[in-house]
Amino acid sequence: MDASYLDLLMAQQEQADKQHPAPEEEVAEGGGGGIWVVADVVDGAVAPVTLEALSAARTLADSLGAYVYGVLLGGGVTDLAQTLYQAGADGVRVASLTADHPSPAQADKQHPFALEPYLKVLSDLFEAEQPEVIIFGATRQGQELAPRLAQRMGGGLIEHVTAVSLDEATRTVQASFPIYGGEYFEIAACPEARPQFLTVEPGAFPAPFIDSYRKGEPTMLEIEPVEPAVRVVGTAEDADKQHPADKQHPADKQHPFEPPPVPLAQAPVIVAAGRQAGDFDLVKQLAAALGGRVAGDRGARDAGWIGPEQIVDVRGVMVAPQVYVAVGIRGDTFHNAAIEDAKFIVAIHPDPDAPIFQVADLCLEAEPKEVLPALLEVLEE
Amino acid sequence: MRMVVILGRVLDPSGIVVNRRAGRVFVNREEYILQPADRCALEAALRIKDTTGAEVVALPRSPLPDDDVLRQALSTGADRAVYLAGQVGNLPHAGDAVMARVLAAAVERLGGADVILTGATTLDTDQSQLGPRLAEALGWPQIVGAWQVETVNGRVQAVRQASPPLVGEDGGKAGYVAVEADLPAVVTVLPGALKPRYPDGVRLINIYRAEDAVEQWDVGDLVDEAALRPLLEKRGQDFPPQRERGVRVSGTPEEMAQALADALRQRVRG
Repeated sequence: MDASYLDLLMAQQEQADKQHPAPEEEVAEGGGGGIWVVADVVDGAVAPVTLEALSAARTLADSLGAYVYGVLLGGGVTDLAQTLYQAGADGVRVASLTADHPSPAQADKQHPFALEPYLKVLSDLFEAEQPEVIIFGATRQGQELAPRLAQRMGGGLIEHVTAVSLDEATRTVQASFPIYGGEYFEIAACPEARPQFLTVEPGAFPAPFIDSYRKGEPTMLEIEPVEPAVRVVGTAEDADKQHPADKQHPADKQHPFEPPPVPLAQAPVIVAAGRQAGDFDLVKQLAAALGGRVAGDRGARDAGWIGPEQIVDVRGVMVAPQVYVAVGIRGDTFHNAAIEDAKFIVAIHPDPDAPIFQVADLCLEAEPKEVLPALLEVLEE
Repeated sequence: MRMVVILGRVLDPSGIVVNRRAGRVFVNREEYILQPADRCALEAALRIKDTTGAEVVALPRSPLPDDDVLRQALSTGADRAVYLAGQVGNLPHAGDAVMARVLAAAVERLGGADVILTGATTLDTDQSQLGPRLAEALGWPQIVGAWQVETVNGRVQAVRQASPPLVGEDGGKAGYVAVEADLPAVVTVLPGALKPRYPDGVRLINIYRAEDAVEQWDVGDLVDEAALRPLLEKRGQDFPPQRERGVRVSGTPEEMAQALADALRQRVRG
């Protein structure tokens, strides 16, 4: 079969679509109100977590015989409807909340995400449609909207979902969510209350197949203006100016505002030291050479090399870097669980039985103080 | 002014071991700690109390077998604590929908509140729904994920992360916005936002000795029995597979360094 034949086939299909438009307004047989995905829009594009949510929704919908719908909220998002169609949505609703009702996309820049207008639109929509399942991304927007909407509609909410399965007899979604940041997973279900609300963890589900031949006409929603209850009064610096240092209670030193440092959890390269690291300066040099951040386990903290905010541990910071170099870390359960999402783990430890070697991708059984100088030399070249 | 702080407890993770191969969680030392985010919420409330003299009332996140977290709150500086007796669900935090209703009723019985503070997440299950659900049950505004909280002239002001979090070169100061809402409001505080204070020693001893330090209300008196059914139920546990063992490199330190450098170059710069 050559390419021209394929083109011909596709053109025929498109023509067929035009003659018989997608039956999006029909109620699916036994499909209830369908599965709805509320989209996150970041920088004028549909966030990856929304596409992943659509792929999860598609899988559920195919087993249930239900339709998948997408909801877009915000200003200037109408064009994004096609992305949702291509990612597998059967219908898309768009609520255009402009200037007076800032969208999260604008919120990135200056305005906060405005809860009440969104809540009004969504609760009106879902009261009318009675969905079976409503999926949000486990983002700020999802975490603010989902619980409020769930409480309003009397639905159960499972947060940070990483996997879903279906109890088909009762049309109930069974969802896994991580405990202690992924040490293990708890599976929960919402057996009776409908709708079932889920927020899906970014990166947990595969990205959907983007079918560029899928398309549809989004339905615009009526908007009633609602005043947001939480107002943005400025930046963090503005809050400082209102509170001169001399007028503060001594125990209340909140100003000037010190932002938390860039979270270790988001660093792409981390070099971590443990009790067996020997020379901490070498660890710091290695981090500098790799352009990474310095961290450590509890042993490094006890040795006074790092602060408490640099402890990589389930109880401290969970990390997911591209590269994690564990220098002289023996690797207890909680440390190893905290680095589980790292893409590539290097372990340098003299003890061949150190538990860190069970999770590392590259294992060096050696004294760090012997390997590191040689490594720094090679990296300098 | 009255502030309500909602506190939960969590099994100290240093006392448990998760064995994935056996598919079990072994509890070596059963010790509960205050949820880290809730501890920060308590600190935020106590700081507001320091400046305004507001009353701080501690309530539990869920019905607990003992009132230890409440006694901790009292000895750290809370004025009043109410223990809620009853049973809501078997899954940790499955009862958040129910608890939102129970707590809303409890706040009503207290005679209302101006600010309700609680943690933005839980350490174990990473659930953030209780705060927003409570705000919805009461019909109040919510500020989620605050890094600083204070009250000024009948309003609550907070600094919280912009949406979505921006991480700038400057350390992220630009990624934060100051927001305000009229009282009453629900504010959830991020873990690590404030440095919690220690309890006062003498107060601690007295609170733990006094049998009547904590009031006791029955959950069933606050809402009807039918409303106490949790919406979620537990369907099991899932243990991720053990990670596969990686490649072992041997040789002289120089050879190892070379192999390591090659692997790192590929991934860091490439």
